[in-house]
Amino acid sequence: MEKYLDKLPSYVETIKLIKETIIANIVFIGQIPAPTFKEKRRANFFMERLVEFQVDECTTDGYRNPIGIIRGTSPLKPPVFVVAHLDTIFKKDIDHNYTVKKKTITGAGVLDNSLGVGILASLPLIFRKLNLRFESDIVLAGVIQSLGRGNLRGIRHLLKTWDTPIRGAICLEGVELGRLNYYSEGMIRCEVECDISLILGPLQKFKSNAILILNEVINQILELRLPQRPRSRVIIGKISGGFKHGTIASKAKLGFEIQSNSDKMVKSIYNDINDIIEDISHQNEIEMKLKTISNLSAASIKYNHPLVKNAGAVIESLGIKPICEPSESELSIFLSHKIPAVTLGITQGENIHLEKAMMEIEPMYKGIAQIVGAIMAIDGGVCDE
Amino acid sequence: MNSNWLEKNTFHYSEFKDINRLVEEKERKKIKISLCLPTLNEEKTIAKEIIIMKSELMSRYPLLDEIVVIDSGSSDRTMEIASSYGADVYKADDILPKLEKFKGKGENLWKALYITKGDIIVYLDADIKNIHHRFVYALVGPLLLFDNIKYSKGFYDRPIAKGKKKLRPTGGGRVTELVIRPLFSLFFPELTQIIQPLSGEYAGYRELFEKIPFPIGYGIETSIILDTYEKWGLDVIAQVDLERRVHRNQDTKSLGKMSFVILKTFCKRLAKLGLAELKSDVFNEMIQYKLGKDGYLPDIYIDKSFERPPIIEISEYREKYKKTAWVADE
Repeated sequence: MEKYLDKLPSYVETIKLIKETIIANIVFIGQIPAPTFKEKRRANFFMERLVEFQVDECTTDGYRNPIGIIRGTSPLKPPVFVVAHLDTIFKKDIDHNYTVKKKTITGAGVLDNSLGVGILASLPLIFRKLNLRFESDIVLAGVIQSLGRGNLRGIRHLLKTWDTPIRGAICLEGVELGRLNYYSEGMIRCEVECDISLILGPLQKFKSNAILILNEVINQILELRLPQRPRSRVIIGKISGGFKHGTIASKAKLGFEIQSNSDKMVKSIYNDINDIIEDISHQNEIEMKLKTISNLSAASIKYNHPLVKNAGAVIESLGIKPICEPSESELSIFLSHKIPAVTLGITQGENIHLEKAMMEIEPMYKGIAQIVGAIMAIDGGVCDE
Repeated sequence: MNSNWLEKNTFHYSEFKDINRLVEEKERKKIKISLCLPTLNEEKTIAKEIIIMKSELMSRYPLLDEIVVIDSGSSDRTMEIASSYGADVYKADDILPKLEKFKGKGENLWKALYITKGDIIVYLDADIKNIHHRFVYALVGPLLLFDNIKYSKGFYDRPIAKGKKKLRPTGGGRVTELVIRPLFSLFFPELTQIIQPLSGEYAGYRELFEKIPFPIGYGIETSIILDTYEKWGLDVIAQVDLERRVHRNQDTKSLGKMSFVILKTFCKRLAKLGLAELKSDVFNEMIQYKLGKDGYLPDIYIDKSFERPPIIEISEYREKYKKTAWVADE
């Protein structure tokens, strides 16, 4: 293990030699709008770049996830997957032009996840620059329909239809450098919409109020007794509603997630909340429904799994402290297919989900070296139990 | 009127997408290509232009031999940033220091002729928000692939960055449509075929640029077209559709100043060509008004219409490039 760990600091310097191309990839990719379900242009560009950087094969799967394959030296070894989601939370019509300065890149979606996709597209060139060849095929997959209502459809489809074993996987996310995710919690993402416009009528000034009804829903959710084991929580994440200050709100919407490291507990809390909503609907003589937007099963490899241990050592060898937290990304789908996988963050930054998201350039080079190190670890056999 | 020029000499950038072919042609002709970016407070956009050109047209394809930034005296970090990404950065005032100093884009472009090594020089504005390497390879393409073409000019859709968030899909080109096109229609109808005569993206052979004068300011684009047309005709000019360029919007007052300078440049050439006669010297002041506390106040912009002579007339240049003296009317 030490053999490649020792090389990583020198890789950082070599990677810097092609900084223009790496930054150009991040900028080119990030400047193509790619809201979830509308990633086609970004996917096409990603494929073009892979072809230009001379991957051995370039294709899309049946779900139009773009994939590049760098052939390994041993046909007997299963492939190593490196993935980054292509979609962003930003609508098409906002300004996607990035600003590059001496130390930073700023622009919508740069941290989530044009940085990840830009690095993914740069990997063939980075491997050549570092003079690296692997035993396994390296599969570079930009996956579509990942965020929100996308519900990780791209990666779900890719793994469902990939018919040979996968040796291990690395998921790339923009921030934070040091991030080492190896488990994901069970999750149900829900929405409740309260629409009382039909029963309210234009002149009823002192009747029900959609916001107050949802307020009651929130209050009752907060009264739920959630266990500490299995660790569980309900995150109230989004709320919207009403029209203007002096008018009773006839429509309101609430978005929340139920998270737990037990799928059973997630389901149980979901049922409790469903009961709350039915009860409040009945009391107010309205129809209010709990909608599931997406869901994930809890999945994990152990903290002492060789992949986690080696990825941690790779990160530490670059002078960075690993931070382990759960992740709801592509990781959970790999883990649910029993494929050892980790998610790595690439750099530091701020305003991750704002249009003025900003990434730091200098830490990125260590972030890339750690990805190379993790691939080398998998290729060296840490997932071959 | 050469009315089939538009069809014959208008290209789309995609026709030059095969960069390998351009590199082969460049090597066959044994020529060098320089990119010049004139700057004044462009810290927001300069790095991206340099990075993308260096990555795509120097590291990946050896089409460009150098990237040179000529700065008019930025007060922001333009020069520091440009230098950190490996461009050769010069203050305009430090080039040919014995000459009188002027400030302006044309001055920077003229001085770039002294600094750069290229046989072909590509000039790009440094404020392009959606910069792409097509802006360079598409301008160089006609120069490398067609022996008659000596000067190529970009045109594009011009969405304007409106505020921080939205893009306005059409707009821009107001000075072109309100000033230049009417003047071309009156005096040089053939030139109306040039779709965006004021675009800041163009490339040409050194042998052309060195033989024409350069107004120091806004008049530079107009003068290059008029002088090239007068000396070599329309057939040496090509125009290339670069599709889309996002840039900063300018307010009407700024465009007024720009129009003033362009009109003066135009008038000067009309007089020189004997197409119009001015009975007296025109004034150098563009007078606009702004509302102050005590009423309307004049806001005066002075333009002395200074033009640099063809650089081949400068002895330091001839010495550096081993050129013999050139007679303007040859």
